[in-house]
Order: sequence, then structure tokens, then C-alpha cells
Amino acid sequence: MSEEPTIDKFKQTFLEEAREILVELESALLALNDNRGDNELVGRAFRALHTIKGSGAMFGFDELAAFTHNLENAFDEVRNGRLHVTSELINLSLAALDQIKAMLDEAAGGGEADRTVSAEILVKVRQLTGKPEPRPAEAAPSPELAPAADAKGATRDWQIRFSPGADLLRTGTNPLLLLRELKQLGSLQIEASMAAVPPIPELDPERCYISWDMVLTTSAAREAISDVFIFVADSCELTIEPAIESTIEPKIELTTEPAIEMRIKPTIAPVSGPVSSAAVAEPQAPKAKYPSYGRRASDTPDNASSIRVPAAKLDQFVNLVGELVTVQARLFEIATRREDPEVGAVSEEIDRLTSALRESSISIRMLPIRATFERFRRLVHDLARDLHKEVELTIEGADTELDKSVIDQLNDPLMHLIRNSMDHGIEPPERRLAAAKRPSATIHLSARHSGASVLISVADDGGGINAAAVRERAIEKGLVASDAQLTEAEIFALILAPGFSTARQVTDVSGRGVGMDVVRRSVETLRGRIDIASKPGTGTTVTLRLPLTLAIIDGLLVRVGHAYFVLPLATTLECIELTRQDIEQANGKHVANVRGEIIPYIRLREYFNMPIEQLEREQIMVAETEDGRYGFVVDQVLGDHQTVIKNLGRFYRHVELVSGATILGNGTVALILDPHRLVRDALRTISLGTRSLGKHADVRAAPRPRAQGVAAPSVAAEKVAAQNAATQGVACS
Amino acid sequence: MAVTLDQSEARCVIRLDGEVNIASAAELKELLLQALASGREPRADLEGATELDVTALQLLWAAEREARGSGRGFTLAGRVPEEIAATARDAGLEKFPVGVDAK
Repeated sequence: MSEEPTIDKFKQTFLEEAREILVELESALLALNDNRGDNELVGRAFRALHTIKGSGAMFGFDELAAFTHNLENAFDEVRNGRLHVTSELINLSLAALDQIKAMLDEAAGGGEADRTVSAEILVKVRQLTGKPEPRPAEAAPSPELAPAADAKGATRDWQIRFSPGADLLRTGTNPLLLLRELKQLGSLQIEASMAAVPPIPELDPERCYISWDMVLTTSAAREAISDVFIFVADSCELTIEPAIESTIEPKIELTTEPAIEMRIKPTIAPVSGPVSSAAVAEPQAPKAKYPSYGRRASDTPDNASSIRVPAAKLDQFVNLVGELVTVQARLFEIATRREDPEVGAVSEEIDRLTSALRESSISIRMLPIRATFERFRRLVHDLARDLHKEVELTIEGADTELDKSVIDQLNDPLMHLIRNSMDHGIEPPERRLAAAKRPSATIHLSARHSGASVLISVADDGGGINAAAVRERAIEKGLVASDAQLTEAEIFALILAPGFSTARQVTDVSGRGVGMDVVRRSVETLRGRIDIASKPGTGTTVTLRLPLTLAIIDGLLVRVGHAYFVLPLATTLECIELTRQDIEQANGKHVANVRGEIIPYIRLREYFNMPIEQLEREQIMVAETEDGRYGFVVDQVLGDHQTVIKNLGRFYRHVELVSGATILGNGTVALILDPHRLVRDALRTISLGTRSLGKHADVRAAPRPRAQGVAAPSVAAEKVAAQNAATQGVACS
Repeated sequence: MAVTLDQSEARCVIRLDGEVNIASAAELKELLLQALASGREPRADLEGATELDVTALQLLWAAEREARGSGRGFTLAGRVPEEIAATARDAGLEKFPVGVDAK
């Protein structure tokens, strides 16, 4: 299977679609593992393999087709009842699936697939099916569609009724070709029924109204017959029954009297009775539907209503829309300034359109989280097997939609959380039984919207987090002082610290203390939060709170000096005025009294080293940060500002306090501040007694004053007060 | 064009050329309706046709029924190519939807 470096476009399409089919196959296999007798699932698996084999051969992937063929045979045996679904078959199939994936990757220019693995798998498959060495010419495509005829050679008569559904033609099927295929199986007597053909003015030209009654005399097995219709089973009514008598009455000429049309059918058929052509839309066939294989063969989304777009193109589109929004804001400003009614009207119109365009582009990027969640079924299955535990994965809220950029980054953290849960949280079956629990544990993945965020949680019913062990370990690692008083929430939050792990043994699966750190970092990059809840003996739930999209931020535009900033609306609690009076009453401390609560604040003017002015009135933006409630003092609050976030670019990547920038209507740039980082930075510099913006490699080594996720204003207030006393007017670096 | 309608004082002929399938089904229906409304006796010329599918077959059948119902005939102008006749037989139609002109 050696490919040229540039794969031609059709092969590219095949590779993409084959990958999608593999997803469907994997899902069918995993479901089949839990429902071994489910023939529908067997059918799904067979169909998927069948399609990959056929398309593979068509596009020149002969090795792939040959490899898939063997597995397809095995599932054919299962369909025929000659083979049972066993763990061995499932695991072997999953292994084969991985191998197919490897072959696809190789074809796409990736690393070489290991052929010895293919050979091993094939040997095992043949052992299972008891089939001898295949003939070398096994990779032929379509003619092999139907399994070989029954070796006995005895012929039977089958009565077949085929009645296309309304959409059959629209799926690209040509019924005449199907009939031709049937003919190849034996000798076919066929009559067409025109009973459902409406008067020509009402006739839908793209719908098939003809149905067929046939008697097929063949030595082929029933599967061979139904396989002819395998891809249209869902868009037609099909009955295949052994015929007791194999005669067919000569057809009586159809009369076109408006009232009644009668038809003589082969004697064994259930009587359909007189049919009024005026009233009937569908043929009055016996409604016994052939037990279909369930899902359509093409499990890709309905081709008529969706379109595949490269992500890069979509990004570009969204970007342009963002730019348009910016320019439109400037137009609006000019229009207002010039007080020109004509221009103003046009500007408003453009404003409406731009908003709609922006909403539309955001929603295009929103995808349901289903695919991400479902992908973990395989992981849970494999890990459970490796760890000798029984674990079931349940999913809730798969329809919840998130921005593509967020979804892409969720994979790693979720994977680590699941691995953690399975490795450390969930007990082996014996221990669960001893604890009067069901031996099979459950991991529950759920997603739901909450305001402008989405909450994603991973919950298990395992043994919960041992708070004491965590605390001990944290002390061991020097993360907290040995006499520190921590709340339960604080203790749990320690798990997220880098290098932390209570695992006594590092297993292959986890324990290196890297996983949870990845989770923490991913969530921070996503501007989210993590909450950990746990009850010993009952289980643990980790909840991620994430913004719906990273591309847009709802913020409050503020002015400090001549500079503009945006503070995220999501974390802002309220905005109150800070008067000279308040300052005097605070006795030199940077704290404010908000309805009885002491809120320490940071003067952004000072913090950003701007010329200090004594203003009569200033505003405090009170924000809920990961370290508690803090205020940011600004000169003026200009209002809501929903804006597309622009990255600062490579050179400013390390400036942690600023998460991006946006361009205002008048063309100036406003920096978007990250309140969590601002506060974190302030506390850090306070504890060191110095102040600095930017990277501090040395500061990272210092013990963090506080664990994540805890609000304790009084302690922080003390620190701020200490800063005030010790470091009045310290210069920034 | 796969389907054309040749109308004049004396004639009303629907010509089917080459492959006549679902792609031209809507067009074929249109032309058949026109032919049926023309007041003349419509004829079908299939001499140039190489393939018909179910959509074409059922339209021809429905047009023939309609014509007969209003007392006219819908008949063939010329012969039906053997291939086409075979298609109709394979499709389980006892005879070709459009009959030979008995006159």
C-alpha cells in the first residue's frame, strides 16, 4: 500500500469517511460487548466492515480491503448463528479496528503500520471462525457482496415484496439495479405494481411509486437475498419469505377505472384486498416490515442537510466576522459624532446585520459535546479490562453545545480525570462487594449550560478522596505547612498541584502526578474553574466550569488614565463608587466596606505604574476570583462591551495578567485583564514584599499562600493591609 | 437535452434521447403535461434513448393512463430500442407503458 506523497482528493475523502465509519464500528462493538445477543448491533458492525472493505477496494487500498474482509467474514458467521459474540471476538475486533486505523494513518502519510500485527490478528480471526487460509484473490470488491451460495445446491423459492419508500430514489439508489442483482442469484419472476402511481399532475417525479412482487428461485441463502437490499433496508418495505407454491398467476391487466384496482398475486402472499387508487398514497402491502438492521449504512449526517468544512476555513470566516464587528463599531462612532442622519441610519442597519452575522458565526462553531464524550467509552472499556475492574460509563447532556475551540481542548483533561477516577477512585469488585456496593462501578459524564458557562462533570461512585492522605502528602511535598488549617475544599484542591500524587505506586495508567496538573492547566487556559467534591466511601465528582466560547468575551469596558481595559463580566459582581470619604475612613488600608463585607482592592493606576492622580470619584469593580472577592479601582466604567478577543501575539504570550486585547470603536486597543491572575500576582508580590509585573521564575518556588478555589477575605485583607503599611509607593519593574 | 417536446400544428412528439433518468425526471413530467394539454394526440419517440430508469418508466405509464382517460392515445412514434424494451421487462412491466399505434 505505497502511496504517492500527495494523496489525491478522492482518496482523502475515503480516508475521512473510513475514519468516521471506524467510529461507528467501535461504538457498535462496545455496545455489542454489553448486549451480546443484539443482532442489530451485529448488523451494524457487519455493515461498517462491509463498507470499509468495499470502498477500500474501490480506491485502491487492497491490503486494507483484504484485511477487513476476514473480519467481515467473522461477523457474517455471527449473523448466521455459526459464531457467538465473545469477549475474545470483541477484543480481537477492537484490535483489528486499531490496525485498520493504523493502515489509514499510514495511507495518509503517517508512520508505517506494523504488518506483523495484521498477521497475528488474521491468525486469531481464522482460529475463531475455523476458516482455512484464504485464497490470494480474496480482495475482490463488489461481486463478493453476497456470501457464497449454500454448498448444498438445493434451490428454494422465495417470495419477495419490495416497496420503495418515499426517499429511496433521493438516496441515490436505483431500484432497477437492485432487481438486476437479484436476478443474478437465480431465476426471477417479477411483476411491477403500478397501484400507487398517482395521476400525472400529482406525481412527484423524484419518487418511486412502483413496487414489486417477485418469486426468486435460488440456491443462495436468505442473507444473500437480503444483502442485495442491505443499504436500503431503512428506506423501503421489504419482505422475504419462503414461498410454498412457486407458481405465479399471470397478471391481470390493470384497469384504470377510478374506483378499484385489483391485482392477482402469487398464491402464498397475504391477501391485500381491493385498493382504491384515489385514496392510496403508499401500496397497501402487508405492513410486516423486514427486521431491518437498524441504523442506515451511511451513518454520516444526512448529506442533504450538512456540509463538511475544513476547520481552518471556518476560523478564517469567524475572524473576518470579528474584524467586521470592530470596523462597524468605528463606523457607528463616526456616524454618531458627525450627527449625520443618513450615515447614522445606514450604520444602524449595518449594526443589526453585523450582530446577526456574529451570532450566526458563533453558533456555527458550536458543536455538541457528544462526540468527545462517546470517545471515552473505548477508554473506559480498555482500562476496566486492564485494571480488572468493572466499570460502566454513563453520559448525560451529550447535546450540550460548546465552541469547537473549547471542545478540542477538553479531551486531555477529561481523559486524565477518567483515568484518575478509574485508577484511584474506583475500587476492585471484591472491595466494592465487601463495602456492600454493586461490583460494577459507574463513571458518569455530564454536561449542561449554566448561565454563560458550561458545566462538565466527571463523577464516580468509587471510594472518594481520602482527605487525610491528601493532606499528609501535601505536607510531605512541602505544599502546605504541617500545622496549616485547611478546609475540605482546600484539601481537595491540593490534588491539582503539580507533582502531587498520593499513589504509593506509580502504575502504568497514572500516579506520576502529572495528570491532574494537566487538568488544572487546561482548565486555566480555557479560563475555567475546577471544583472537586468528594465523600469517602461514596465517590468523587469533579466539575469543570468553562466559558461557552473562547473567541468572544462579555466584558465591562473601563478607563484607567488614558488607557482602556476590559474586565470579564462573568467574574464581575458589582461596580460601586469609591469616594474620598471611603478612603479616609479606611485608615490607609486598601479595603472597602461593601454592605458589611470587607473587600480589599487593587488600584490599577498604581499597579500599572501610571501617574497617580487624586480623583474625586473612582469606581471599584468587585470581582469574584479564585482567591476570593477583590476590587479593582478604575477611573471610569464605560459600560458593557461584548467583543471578539484578539490574541496579543507571540511576544506578549508571557504576560499573564492580560488575556488578550480588543479594538474599540475609536480604533484604540483595550487590554483584557484576567482578574484571577491579577489578584494572584498581587498576593504573590505582597508576600515577597516586592512588586513586579511579568515573569517571576523565582516566585514559583515560593509556597503559595493559598490553595485554589477558596475565598477567605479576612486573611487576604490582612495581607493587603500589610502591604499598605510596608510598601507605600513601591515602584514597579 | 435528454427530453424534448416537438410541438407544431400537426405534431406533438416527446423525444427521449440517451440516458433518461431521475436527473431529467422533473423536466420529463413538465413536457408530458404540456403534451397532454396540447389537445393533440401525444407520441413518444424513443429511438434515440439508450437507458430509462424507474422515474421515466412511471412517468410514461402515468401519462399513458392520463391520455387514455381523456379519450386520447399516447403512442409510440417509431420503435422501442431493444435495450429499453428489456429494461421495462426486467422492471416487471408486462408491456411497455406506451403502446404501439394501432392505427
